[in-house]
Amino acid sequence: MTPRLKPAALALLFPALVLGWWEWESRQSAGHAYAFAPLEQIGRSFVDMLSDGTLLFQAGASLQRALTALLIGGSIGIAIGVATGLSRLLDRTATPLITTLRQVPILGWLPLVALWFGNGDGAKLLLVSLSAFYPTVLNTQKGMQAIETRYAEVGRLYGFTRWQALRLIAWPSALPLIFTGISQALAFSWIATIGVELLFSATAGLGTEMMAAQVAARTDVVLVCVACVGVMGFALNQLFGLLRARLLRWQPPIRN
Amino acid sequence: MPADNPGRSRSSPLSAYRTTLLRIAPIVTILIAWELAALSGLWPRQVLVPLEQVGATLLALASSGELERHVSASLYRLTCGFLTGSTIGVATGVAMALSRNVHRLLWPSFTCVRQVPVIAFIPLLILFFDVEDSFKIVIVAIASFFPSALATHDAVRDIPASHREVARLYRLPLASFLRRVILPATVPQVLTGLRLGLTRGWLSLVAAELLAADSGLGQMMEMGRQLFQIDVVLCGVIVTGLIGFLLDGSVVRLERRLSRWRTA
Repeated sequence: MTPRLKPAALALLFPALVLGWWEWESRQSAGHAYAFAPLEQIGRSFVDMLSDGTLLFQAGASLQRALTALLIGGSIGIAIGVATGLSRLLDRTATPLITTLRQVPILGWLPLVALWFGNGDGAKLLLVSLSAFYPTVLNTQKGMQAIETRYAEVGRLYGFTRWQALRLIAWPSALPLIFTGISQALAFSWIATIGVELLFSATAGLGTEMMAAQVAARTDVVLVCVACVGVMGFALNQLFGLLRARLLRWQPPIRN
Repeated sequence: MPADNPGRSRSSPLSAYRTTLLRIAPIVTILIAWELAALSGLWPRQVLVPLEQVGATLLALASSGELERHVSASLYRLTCGFLTGSTIGVATGVAMALSRNVHRLLWPSFTCVRQVPVIAFIPLLILFFDVEDSFKIVIVAIASFFPSALATHDAVRDIPASHREVARLYRLPLASFLRRVILPATVPQVLTGLRLGLTRGWLSLVAAELLAADSGLGQMMEMGRQLFQIDVVLCGVIVTGLIGFLLDGSVVRLERRLSRWRTA
């Protein structure tokens, strides 16, 4: 057996090695320092961007875009998901269409959207909303189909109207999956936001900032933005997890 | 839940025919509406291209060999990146699941970097690798690394401890342990991870090609956009979607084939 090593020390060893190698590379020559910005400079850029408000402003713009699109795409997705769950005709007609459109990667629509709608905020919002739409509609459909038959039978026994059956049986039992859909949509819309900002560098946002920094060969600024994107994505995911646990606390915990 | 729900199991040839008709009806409706709108002349022909022109452009692109050039450039990058990324991913996943020390060493960093959307690495990779092929291969490799590593890690970790104990009792060498115990037990889950990796790789590649490339489907669409050729852009959208669909479908078929013995 190998001697027991402290987990924390091992966890820190890998990042320390990477950082050490990075710093070593940055000191090799001026050409290397161009791509491998010295660690100290990355730290300084972070402090600068934080104190002059750039980071907060750009992150806020991206966050606002992602959440607005989540609201638009997510609510349309849930509405269509519920509608297709209620009507088989609608399910048979709308679902193949959605499945067909979904084959195209979101950013693949970008040139077309740019030609039709320009490269302003509206076009961005459209694409990010589309990325939030797919997971919510698919999960809502799944949730509506997964109603336990005994509940449906109880509803029938009580002579529930369609509306009552939807509100009292189908909706609550579909909710956990709807929340799964929203949490996936949150992740997707964050990714799509960064993607459209990288490709349409016209308005504010972290992606725009990164692209500008890339053109100016500022690895330090790019890295600060990459870290910010990662931390914000993680925080959004965690916050939504807490919200979900709170809103669904009446539900027994679901698997995975 | 209506009581008069017709039986799902009953399927006469007629109802199967009707189902297919219903399936394609909205797509056909949209295409007809598109064509009518294009013919109505309300929008300029460049903005709303008639379908026959899109078809003609697709044929022209295909027969001139231009489409083939773009598709093969994209698929070459996808293959190189995916093979590299998923091989390293599967190996890392196995190592993290089998060795506690490797897990302690890599897992925290792995979890940390995994939070960053792959697309966000594009500007950084351009700075490091320039806009040549290598940058696109690396982005696909990164995109396919994380899902395959994660799925493999989870699959290997979920192998019942009894399997590993039996292997230890028989003093199975590592190579046969991996082949006889780990491989069969993890195939379905790992394939799901590879499938996700392939999809993400394709998505990231198209994004990277839109941004900076001299060939590839993404570049074809981007050129079409700059030259205001909506027909070319639409051809790109169609081919991109078709390739994504075929890639995903082939992995699904592989998944079914390789896990057939489980259900049989």
